Amino acid sequence: MSKTHEFRFFRLVARNLAHRPYRNIATVFIIAIIAGTLFASQYLMSGAEQSLDAGISRMGADILVVPERYAAAGQSVILTGTPTSFFFEDSVFEKVTRVQGVAKASPQIYIATLFASCCAAPVQMIAIDPESDFTISAWLKRNPGVVPGVDDIIIGNSVIQNVGRDLIFYGHTFHVVGILEKTGMGVDNAVFTRFEDASVMANESGTKAVRKVTIPEGMISAVLVKVLPGASPAEVALEIQRQVPGTKTILPDGLLNAVSGQLSAVTRLLSGSTIAVTVVSIPLLGIISAMVADERRREVSLLRALGATRLFVVRLILAESFSLAIIGSFIGIGTAAAILVAFQDYIAYTLKIPFILPSPLALLAAGGGALLLSIGIVGLSSLYPVVLITSSEPYMALRGGEL
Amino acid sequence: MIEGIGVTKVFRHGRSDVVAVDDVHLNVIPGEFVLIYGRSGSGKSTLLGMLGGLINPTSGVIRVNGLDIGNLSDAMISEVRAKEIGFVFQFSGHIPTVTVLENVMLPMLFYRDGPGSLSRAVELIRRVGLSDRADAYPCTLSSGEMKRVAIARALINSPPILIADEPTGDLDIDTEYEIMQLFQQLNSEGMTFVMVTHNLDLVPFGTRTYRMDRGKMMEIPRPLPGVTMTKEPNTHLDHDAGTAMNEL
Repeated sequence: MSKTHEFRFFRLVARNLAHRPYRNIATVFIIAIIAGTLFASQYLMSGAEQSLDAGISRMGADILVVPERYAAAGQSVILTGTPTSFFFEDSVFEKVTRVQGVAKASPQIYIATLFASCCAAPVQMIAIDPESDFTISAWLKRNPGVVPGVDDIIIGNSVIQNVGRDLIFYGHTFHVVGILEKTGMGVDNAVFTRFEDASVMANESGTKAVRKVTIPEGMISAVLVKVLPGASPAEVALEIQRQVPGTKTILPDGLLNAVSGQLSAVTRLLSGSTIAVTVVSIPLLGIISAMVADERRREVSLLRALGATRLFVVRLILAESFSLAIIGSFIGIGTAAAILVAFQDYIAYTLKIPFILPSPLALLAAGGGALLLSIGIVGLSSLYPVVLITSSEPYMALRGGEL
Repeated sequence: MIEGIGVTKVFRHGRSDVVAVDDVHLNVIPGEFVLIYGRSGSGKSTLLGMLGGLINPTSGVIRVNGLDIGNLSDAMISEVRAKEIGFVFQFSGHIPTVTVLENVMLPMLFYRDGPGSLSRAVELIRRVGLSDRADAYPCTLSSGEMKRVAIARALINSPPILIADEPTGDLDIDTEYEIMQLFQQLNSEGMTFVMVTHNLDLVPFGTRTYRMDRGKMMEIPRPLPGVTMTKEPNTHLDHDAGTAMNEL
């Protein structure tokens, strides 16, 4: 004799689900695709936005001033770390500091490097002025507070080297004194050194490196600006552009728009896939549910004859459908998450977007959204079967229409 | 206990109406074993469905323990079915996904405060002789075993009324006899029975017998001459009795 203690509603649900494995597996598969696609879309958007937020907040600057013709290249340096070099006269720095609303300003020089032993791809070297810099020290993950000295270098999180070890660029040996926090943005692939050391490296490169690098005298690449408390970065940026001809200002909002633009094609593809899968799956799931419902008319009528209310039957059908939705969603979300986490660097690189692992809250929101949508779709596709089953007279269904 | 007044059921069949049950009057009192005899299609199962609140009559009134079940909400009529009436169907009405024991316990899901319990389910399964099949699934049972499960299930909530629709229709004579013996025993313990059959051999089990023909129902006076029920095949119905029934 069985040792079963109780026979409850959810045991009936579980038994009914286990009884139709192939059809239920098909349903779970469809739901997994919907949930996975939706989750992936939200995950990428969220990861990119958070990366941007993190990168900008850690950068500590409200405005990036670059040569007028190099706004796009400047954005690429910040967003994806695409190595580039561009210059304008260093007098720009002085002019920018005098603009009303500017609290702090710090110049930078961007030097595109060749392949180095540290990295799979060329990295962006950024020369900074440690005296005026207000950004790098705040990002330091290892060796916080260190101020780079002669031939010292601070490296981005994706540059593979440890503090205390050396890195060689253009034949010049640098000593790693700090590693930055991961931002998911371009700085992860950048290395930071002093103006003086960059200059020495450039001068030596003619004899020590396979390719000479040139840093024009009296030139800089960009100026990072922190505005006064209460001042509007947008207004200060406009003022800089007005007062310092030949410059272009980049604001965090502009970076966000640039990322959104890059992401929009991807999100369109993902959203389109989600909509297509949803549109196809609702009638498909509806047909599967209707087939099951038709098969189960007699079974449901039996339950009604034994005292089940219509509400009980509706609960039973929906509980079964929602169980499949939840199982399918978890499988879909889990699989999508595993793929995205495993290949996130490759995906970000391919899509040319900044990316870090979204926060647990954002992950929860993305997963919850995908789960709710899947449940909604399944609920919608269960409507017809529910109406079909509950509207028939139990005894006639039991007897197959025989009088 | 169960009262039917002018009960009529008309089904729409294409463009024509089919009168399945035509102005039936019936009063079943507690402890009775009412047997409704009739050929296939005579309307007896439809009548039974209406008496059990499973089919809505086109007209007429049906009362179960004084409650007009035609005017009850879905929740209330479901409660009446769960508490007051046990059903045994002609076909093997089981949930295929759950075991014999769980099938017997099914009505407990709908009448949580009822007398149904695991121990009662086990006892009922033992009583119908299926103790060794409690963990089996319905698809592995014989017709007779399925019928016994249905009986045990009908009894789990200790309903005062048992409605049986051709409960022995597809059974061999020995099993039929055993099940009718069980019904008789339950009836002697006070349970009220309303049963339909097309088998004249079962007529002796009823304390009151009706015959249905084309939706009309008439009472057969008792005792019928020479009607007896034995386990011996082909000897359980007196020829004269059969003739007498058919003449009614």
